[in-house]
Amino acid sequence: MAAMFSQNPLMNGPNYSFNQTPTTAAGDNKEHSFYPYTDNGGSTLAISGVDFTIIAGDTRSTSGYNINTRYAPKVFKIGGTTSSQEDATLVLSVVGFAADGEALKERLDAIVKMYRYQHGKPMSVKACAQRLSTILYGKRFFPYYVTAILGGLDEEGKGAIYSYDPVGSYEREQCRAAGAAASLIMPFLDNQVNFKNQYMPGSGVGHALQEREKIPLPRSEVEDLVKDAFDSAVERHIEVGDGLQMMIITKDGIEEIYKPLKRD
Amino acid sequence: MDTLVAQYSKPMFEKENYNQDDQVDLYNPHPTLSLRFAMPPIAQPSAWLRAATDDHANPNCPIKIAHGTTTLAFRFQGGIIVATDSRATAGNWIASQTVKKVIEINNCLLGTMAGGAADCQYWLAYLGMQCRLHELRTGRRISVAAASKILANLVYSYKGMGLSMGTMCAGVTPSEGPALYYIDSDGTRLSGNLFCVGSGQTFAYGVLDAEYHYDLSVEEALALGSRSILAATHRDAYSGGFINLYHVKEDGWVKHGFSDTNPIFWKTKLESGEFSNVTSELV
Amino acid sequence: MEVLLGITGKDFTLIAASKAAMRGATVLKASDDKTRALNKHTLMAFSGEAGDTIQFAEFIQANAQLYSMRNNIDLSPSAVANFVRGELASSLRSRKPYNVNLLLGGVDPITDKPSLYWLDYLASLAPLPYAAHGYAQYYCLSILDKHHHPDITYEQGIKILRMCTDELKRRLPIDFKGMLVKVITKDGIREVEYEDDKSVACP
Repeated sequence: MAAMFSQNPLMNGPNYSFNQTPTTAAGDNKEHSFYPYTDNGGSTLAISGVDFTIIAGDTRSTSGYNINTRYAPKVFKIGGTTSSQEDATLVLSVVGFAADGEALKERLDAIVKMYRYQHGKPMSVKACAQRLSTILYGKRFFPYYVTAILGGLDEEGKGAIYSYDPVGSYEREQCRAAGAAASLIMPFLDNQVNFKNQYMPGSGVGHALQEREKIPLPRSEVEDLVKDAFDSAVERHIEVGDGLQMMIITKDGIEEIYKPLKRD
Repeated sequence: MDTLVAQYSKPMFEKENYNQDDQVDLYNPHPTLSLRFAMPPIAQPSAWLRAATDDHANPNCPIKIAHGTTTLAFRFQGGIIVATDSRATAGNWIASQTVKKVIEINNCLLGTMAGGAADCQYWLAYLGMQCRLHELRTGRRISVAAASKILANLVYSYKGMGLSMGTMCAGVTPSEGPALYYIDSDGTRLSGNLFCVGSGQTFAYGVLDAEYHYDLSVEEALALGSRSILAATHRDAYSGGFINLYHVKEDGWVKHGFSDTNPIFWKTKLESGEFSNVTSELV
Repeated sequence: MEVLLGITGKDFTLIAASKAAMRGATVLKASDDKTRALNKHTLMAFSGEAGDTIQFAEFIQANAQLYSMRNNIDLSPSAVANFVRGELASSLRSRKPYNVNLLLGGVDPITDKPSLYWLDYLASLAPLPYAAHGYAQYYCLSILDKHHHPDITYEQGIKILRMCTDELKRRLPIDFKGMLVKVITKDGIREVEYEDDKSVACP
């Protein structure tokens, strides 16, 4: 039932058409608060490996209990020479307020493209990561309502992931989940990627337990992990579902994979 | 008056995408840390920002900004010890357990991070830039006093706008010797021997004050710094993760590890018999 | 800014309370005793809302003494603690609850085991080896975490207490006029001479 009602507090009731804008009881002007944000839900996830990085996001876009569309990408290639982004080397994922995400993507893409034209080489992830931080901080007093993750390959060809808060604090990590289902996915990743709370079988009990040795995961395993994480998130979070978009960055370029998720 | 001005002046972002400033930005080959910030097109930006981002005043605020927590630094005979935890929280959510809260401004200046993570990262990077410019202009390294004052004046100019940072600048210069300053977003700037900053500060102060004296040996000082952070991670829920330890000496700083608190806690408890309130007895 | 501290050791329990009685920005008395003896082996220290504290403490004291007279035997510290918790819990659900935080220290008259109970105005009860109320929690618990051991002697206990009160003097912005210290042993409750005119400065 709630889905029939608009998110706009002024229109809290059956939806009105535009030429019937509701007025207050007295008919005089009501002061609106300035609130230029909405949450479009969804979740993103990134895992880096020895020679690859995978960034994934679901493709559902919601507002409140409504589903706006079942295909709205949250993961973007950044800084190719053309609009087709065929030769891009970086991937940005944004989750939160989709319009801010789009604006951020456009802005970063323009900057990274200019860099490429001026320097004749693609921007390194490290440099791009720092630049993205300053872009986000540039709106410190009017923030982008987004959680961004940037991925690529570092100077040594290793997978690199940088995660951000809405105003630009950032950190290089092994893996990160962001968005609506971050609290569902991140603990799973801690356990399955960083082997947190996993111990060597037969190493004893209590304080004698030996931590399981950390080994970098192969690409196929990481792909399965991403799918499992999203399948689980879809089961328990209403804002996640419909489709899974994955970008896999290797030295040969960026491969895009789309897999369906449950659509209910 | 402000309301009138806001009403009749043009909102800064009424056009979509690139205004002239943005275009200049794009052509500028060297993107810099600038002092130009976008503002919401309303009369009271700071009140609006607080409603949107301050999770203390408004727990349901939409934008949760990552916050840092326990940090300490103290001067002693052998230089300066800087130690921090590594937890970042956004409300009750632990956003990260691996934050680097010691920011390496240059090879002999360190900054610490408490409060807004982005504020600290950005302004200490900006400070690093100003310090380098000072070196290039004068041919001499900047003093810690001057560097901390740049930061203090800078944050003071943004007072009331919602910046949140409690930071310490530690460094050794030929003119000053080991120097330690505390700077916060209210504009406070203090020099001193010993500071703890963040929600776990009191717990760190407790352990540190009890055994601190200027003539500590380097080993004792490192152990005391690390033990004080451990105390804070044990009693303050917003602190935890790893202990990040630095020692600042005449010829620059040295890193003394980024170590997991959990094994250190159990080692401390089992080997020294401390933390006697932690038992497996059920009462 | 009231300070309550409690430390147990091998054969004793120390209870310390700040001596200042404050109302708003005024210190009304600098030799206040925020403790009441409930029986020969149990001492209660209290802080909280003015009026409530003493009324509640003396009500508990009267009941504990009544029990001792009627039955010719003292309640054990754990029995008192659970009785106090019950009274606080029913008060909490009454029209006007007592706003009192307590530390209850004692030595069991039969087993001679020292004990310390932490209670707050919401009627939480926790038996602990060391405890504090108010701002003292923030500064002293980390010190106690580090320096306390279950089998410390009385002298070591006083030494740790000194570390705690020195830290409070050093870091609390308001003078709490020193501490009143009492010790409970199997021989009863005794006030301790506690030197507190030394000033402590921040390093």
